[in-house]
Amino acid sequence: MNPAVGVVALVVVSVATAVIGFYGLRISRTTGDFYVASRTVRPWWNASAIGGEYLSAASFLGVAGLILLSGTDALWFPVGYTAGYLMLLLFVAAPLRRSGAYTIPDFTEARLDSRAVRRVTSLVVVVVGWLYIVPQLHGAALTIRITTGLPPWVGSAAVVIVVCLTVVAGGMRSITFVQAFQYWLKLTALAVPVLFIVFTLAGNGTAAVAPAAVNPTAMAPAGAYQNVSLLVALLFGTLGLPHVLVRFYTNPDGSSARRTTLIVLGLLSVFYLFPTAYGLAGRMFAPELARSGRADAVVLLLPGQLIGGTAGDLLSALVVAGAFAAFLSTTSGLVVSLAGVISQDVLGGGIRGFRLAAVVSAIVPLGFAVTTDSMALAGSVGLVFAFTASTVCPVLLLGIWWRGLTDTGAIAGMVTGAVLCGGAMVCGAVLGAETPFWLAQPAAWTVPAAFAVMVFASRRTKDRIPKTMTRVMTRLHTPERPLVTER
Amino acid sequence: MTRVRVTAPRSVPRPAGETREAAEESEVGQVFVRSLIRSQLRLALVVAVGFMLILGAFPVLLAAVPGLADTRIWGIPFDWLLLGAGIYPIIGLSAWLFIRTAARNEARYRDLAGDK
Repeated sequence: MNPAVGVVALVVVSVATAVIGFYGLRISRTTGDFYVASRTVRPWWNASAIGGEYLSAASFLGVAGLILLSGTDALWFPVGYTAGYLMLLLFVAAPLRRSGAYTIPDFTEARLDSRAVRRVTSLVVVVVGWLYIVPQLHGAALTIRITTGLPPWVGSAAVVIVVCLTVVAGGMRSITFVQAFQYWLKLTALAVPVLFIVFTLAGNGTAAVAPAAVNPTAMAPAGAYQNVSLLVALLFGTLGLPHVLVRFYTNPDGSSARRTTLIVLGLLSVFYLFPTAYGLAGRMFAPELARSGRADAVVLLLPGQLIGGTAGDLLSALVVAGAFAAFLSTTSGLVVSLAGVISQDVLGGGIRGFRLAAVVSAIVPLGFAVTTDSMALAGSVGLVFAFTASTVCPVLLLGIWWRGLTDTGAIAGMVTGAVLCGGAMVCGAVLGAETPFWLAQPAAWTVPAAFAVMVFASRRTKDRIPKTMTRVMTRLHTPERPLVTER
Repeated sequence: MTRVRVTAPRSVPRPAGETREAAEESEVGQVFVRSLIRSQLRLALVVAVGFMLILGAFPVLLAAVPGLADTRIWGIPFDWLLLGAGIYPIIGLSAWLFIRTAARNEARYRDLAGDK
């Protein structure tokens, strides 16, 4: 591929992001603007922004790569990523919005009336955020290496710099516009090339190299346990992701939070048709990409390989731009939510603290990303979902729906989930390809374990149910009145 | 000459916050709140379990009907169409049903709790 293509695409996306970010700066004035855009964002904007933020390197590159490698088994990834939003809608969206809290630690502190729970939740949220930023930076490194031949760290560093600049400049308000723009950019960047490829191949009657069902590598197919465990992780992990949750506070009320989620589900459903199409096209027309260990780059390489010439270069540039939009939007969403947590808990709030925290939350994962190698992108993000599902998800679900939850129970459950799932992830990293299947995909047992410990420990400490419980539960579940001026 | 500004008497409607507090405090209010929470949770669980059953039925269907996975529609194998595209409308439908019913539950609560 022509190296200039990658560089131009990267620069254009970065400049567009910065311009929209600075435009947003003019209208963000208060601390509220910085954290959650003062909760005045319309459902369509908000839904596009949520879609833009959620569709990460794993969705843009990883899903197609995994489909190329493992065929229909990998189709559970996009299904799980989308259905995770369904679970979020069913169990979390409206009550969480009505809680009126800014961040997940705010929510747990308000619900359980305990500083200790707040500290543990903050720690977990920061770990989740960092774990989730690392694959984004790996994706950027991969993209830069494949498309320009520059050293991989350039890609990771570029993403961190652009994100820091936009977040420090504008906070959440400008991020909302940036991300809404990036959803549509990502959709276009996947849809246009793949439609072009399909029509070109159909037009000149190119025959498929291999049928879709043929496995291009010697990789063993996933068993039923892996698929179920993966779905548990994706279904229950989504509703605990810090950057996704913070988005719900930008809805004016609970029912608009639900409407926004419905739109998001539509946007995600449309988006995921395209990585699937890339994976299928890769399997049928370019299976050698899987064998050369470049499966994660199939989205980037396919237009150049199957179309070629100037048209191929232009389409490649579009895809590279979309890929960078994916890294930038997810990373900035995570950095905003982490900065919110860190600045409130460590630096005492305020805009200065928020800016400093933003830089810290972006620099730490950069260190990890530069010193580690990327695994399959969709796979490593799947593990982050498993971790979230075993820690944040139980405390949110039980906090919203069960009156009996206590601070002791919440902490015990979160620690159990973090230790079990974190331990499984470390074992997986140490053992590599030797990892037994139940450690490689741990959600199926770590999530029930975390729930069980949380319920059991809460039952044993019934006297610690907070006095404010009734009031908080009422607030979470009763609809807002039209004229409400409180908060 | 003194100018007198004529204003409406200060009969500002009770702030919404107050009715909300009242609903929280009274025992009757709590009965309504509990029943609202129960019906919302039941609804969420029914939709979630129903969706997961349909999701689980897809691979079973593909395994149970031999040859179905290899059937082609516009050159695309049927199992790819089913898992890659067919699930999304079901997700959307579940979400839509949930939102409609959840809003209805809330409307019923409002009627019961007596403030509109």
